[in-house]
Amino acid sequence: MVVTWRAAALMGLGVVPVLIWPANGTVLIWATVVVLACVADVALAASPRRVAVQRRVPGSVRLRSEATSELVVRNASGRRLRAVVRDAWGPSAGAGPGRGRSERVRPAAGGPGRHHVDLPDGEAARLPTTLVPTRRGDRAAGGVTVRSLGPLGLAGRQVTLPVPGRLRVLPEFASRKHLPSRLARLREMDGRAAVQIRGEGTEFDSLREYVVGDDVRSIDWRATARRREVVVRTWRPERDRRVLIVLDTGRTAAARVGAAESTGAPRLDASIEAALLLSALAGHAGDRVELVAFDRTVRARVAGAAGPRLMPALAESLATVEPVLLETDWPGVVTQVRTRMTQRALVVLLTTLDPAAVENGLLPVVDQLARDHTVVVASVADEEVAGLRAGRETVAEVYDAAAAARGDLERTAVTTMLRRYGADVVEALPDDLAPRLADEYLALKAAGRL
Amino acid sequence: MTAQLPAPPAPTPPSTVAAAPTGPVDEPPVVIGDDTSGRSRAASRWRRARWPLTVLGIVALFVLFLAVVRTPTSADPYAPDNPEPNGAMAVAEVLKDQGVQITHVTSVADAVAAAGKDSTLLITPNPSFFADDQISALNRTGADLVVLQPDYSMVAGVSQDLLDITYGEQPEPTQPQCADPAAQAAGAVTLTPGLYDASGGSDKVRPVLCWPDDTGAYAYARLDFPDRSVTVVNDPAVVRNGSVVDEGNAALALWMLGQNEDLVWLVPNPMDISTGGDTPTPAERGQVNALMPPGSAPVALVVVLAAVLLAFWRVRRMGPLVVEDLPVLVRSAEATRGRARLYRAARARGHAAAGLRAASADRVATRLGLARSSDANTVVDAVVAATNRPSQQVADLLYGPPPADDAALAELVRRLDTLESEVHRP
Repeated sequence: MVVTWRAAALMGLGVVPVLIWPANGTVLIWATVVVLACVADVALAASPRRVAVQRRVPGSVRLRSEATSELVVRNASGRRLRAVVRDAWGPSAGAGPGRGRSERVRPAAGGPGRHHVDLPDGEAARLPTTLVPTRRGDRAAGGVTVRSLGPLGLAGRQVTLPVPGRLRVLPEFASRKHLPSRLARLREMDGRAAVQIRGEGTEFDSLREYVVGDDVRSIDWRATARRREVVVRTWRPERDRRVLIVLDTGRTAAARVGAAESTGAPRLDASIEAALLLSALAGHAGDRVELVAFDRTVRARVAGAAGPRLMPALAESLATVEPVLLETDWPGVVTQVRTRMTQRALVVLLTTLDPAAVENGLLPVVDQLARDHTVVVASVADEEVAGLRAGRETVAEVYDAAAAARGDLERTAVTTMLRRYGADVVEALPDDLAPRLADEYLALKAAGRL
Repeated sequence: MTAQLPAPPAPTPPSTVAAAPTGPVDEPPVVIGDDTSGRSRAASRWRRARWPLTVLGIVALFVLFLAVVRTPTSADPYAPDNPEPNGAMAVAEVLKDQGVQITHVTSVADAVAAAGKDSTLLITPNPSFFADDQISALNRTGADLVVLQPDYSMVAGVSQDLLDITYGEQPEPTQPQCADPAAQAAGAVTLTPGLYDASGGSDKVRPVLCWPDDTGAYAYARLDFPDRSVTVVNDPAVVRNGSVVDEGNAALALWMLGQNEDLVWLVPNPMDISTGGDTPTPAERGQVNALMPPGSAPVALVVVLAAVLLAFWRVRRMGPLVVEDLPVLVRSAEATRGRARLYRAARARGHAAAGLRAASADRVATRLGLARSSDANTVVDAVVAATNRPSQQVADLLYGPPPADDAALAELVRRLDTLESEVHRP
């Protein structure tokens, strides 16, 4: 049972008869008229429980891109259905106003995902709502509320139907804009696009004729002696190497990084961006990529996917990974790496260079990893701290700068320690981490250290 | 001969890797209704409402029980149903026990209607004042008047200008010093005096004044007119619950108020302007709606009902809120900010300066190509070579004593910045 503004307006119109016959009896009669009209309206309204509703949602959508949730509403009530239908989604799903415009459907005011529907008996209509999700993960839809009004529009009946719906929001992969330039450098290393340079890669590939510009050191004299022309050896980067990306989803990944005036994003999101770019690059370079998201247990795992199946598998499994407010179990990480990687591999630890956390967790175990594998520790730096570091205006800002400088020194010390144990360290602001990590990968590949 | 190179991996456009929304795999279910019937909804409503209703019912029964068992009391000063120290319930109860009928009224009109010959009309102090026509209406009732703490016009009105008031002194226990039987019965009392005889001794009716003070002001006066008597007491403490048992107050009060079988007890209402004329208008009864234009009450009712409907319209939500787990909202920089605040609160300028200096030295050393493990002298020498500054100054800047105050700290930072800007890669 609901009433609309029209019922209140009708009651307000009662001022006219009351001014003509100023008595309490007039008010009583008018109020009775209004109540009877509302009751009649409710009785004549189509039953919202006899409306068939179906919600069609795309399975997944990338963060910040557009998806459409579509309700198919069929009127099986035996009466004309005049209703407002709300397609309810959580705030992070970013639902917009109703989008359908026809003689049966038009957007309704009052909030996102609302539609006016006017359906004769037995007919159906589609009610599209635009969703622009603002957060990664599974976004569950709420119910579908049908407010069916009577022919006078004074009152009606309302019910919320439990219509299932779920939208999986995949990581944005904004760092894909860096992929073409890194792929170009990969091809250069491959010897296709540019003149071969010795040292780019270590795996012997083939022999070919010398052209001006080739490094004379790569001339294969034995082969040259067998033929008339000068022949050079070519190398290519190793293929089929293994890359294991370990995503730290412990408590330090939950902290928000970003400019001081923005709400920022969790560190984990920047780590995921970096993991995706590295995976795309390594996948194109022919390496076998595996990924583990780990804090105290495995939160997500991708292994054995290659070629075109790699990136969808990564996006799908990383979509629902959320930081956990627990300290990461680094010995557990080592166990994970040991069980997954029997031969030498590139192990990328996407974590945080928080001095206290690293000293107690990562530092004691990193040498075990570095003995068997090439280890890269990648960490997301905070733009806000970078801003604090440069503050000079007031005394408070100078103290902020001093605290930031002290933090830098401690991080530098930790970095030095990690390097001493044989790990490479990449630390960058959220937007720069993905390209920096990709560059690090390319450098390692060029140096033949994979 | 050119050797064959393997074809590079085809660069697929990255937008296809994790992008395009895939269509629904299965046909989603069609939902009709919410699996409830009118009967099940009514049952669930009853289940939800029964406990609150039970509690409300118990509370209502309890209130009803209290209303029946407890006699109503008020908090108005001098009211006969006020048991507080400023009330007069004690005297009223004793009078009732003695067979006096007490009529409690709050307007002059009601008092005039209730009082008549052979009754007593008690007029307790008025927080405001009586109008002249009200005073004369009270005078015309023919009842014996007992007036507590009257103002100037009241005392003049009820005594027909035979009495007047003045400012009395602090009361002291005094003997009545008069022949009035009530005063004789009461004996010594402590009442504020403030009345004096204004008759000039010429009239037939002579006021009897009791309990004088040194200046000739009296606390009690009694006038015996041919048809009625008028008693004026300057101090209402005589009937107040808090002071009625002091000395002779109770005797005086009972004597004054118990003269007749009927006692009309007027507790004046400051809003009251009634005079007890033929038919008092609603405005005279102090009714507010009498001051409004006719017909405004029904119109107001309509407006209220419309507002109620508006509230019903706005209060009904379009379905429940959709809940969602939100991520942590802790900024990574809070640790740094907290540390800065600790430095500041502890005035740890030495710590702050050491941190800034070390960071500067670190950056300068990196820029000059020095090893991270270089000692202070090496860094200073390199900086001196790069900037042509005096060695002592550079050493002071990078490794000097901690600053004395916040201003010195800010100055140190400024100079460190300048130094850093002067150092370039050699």
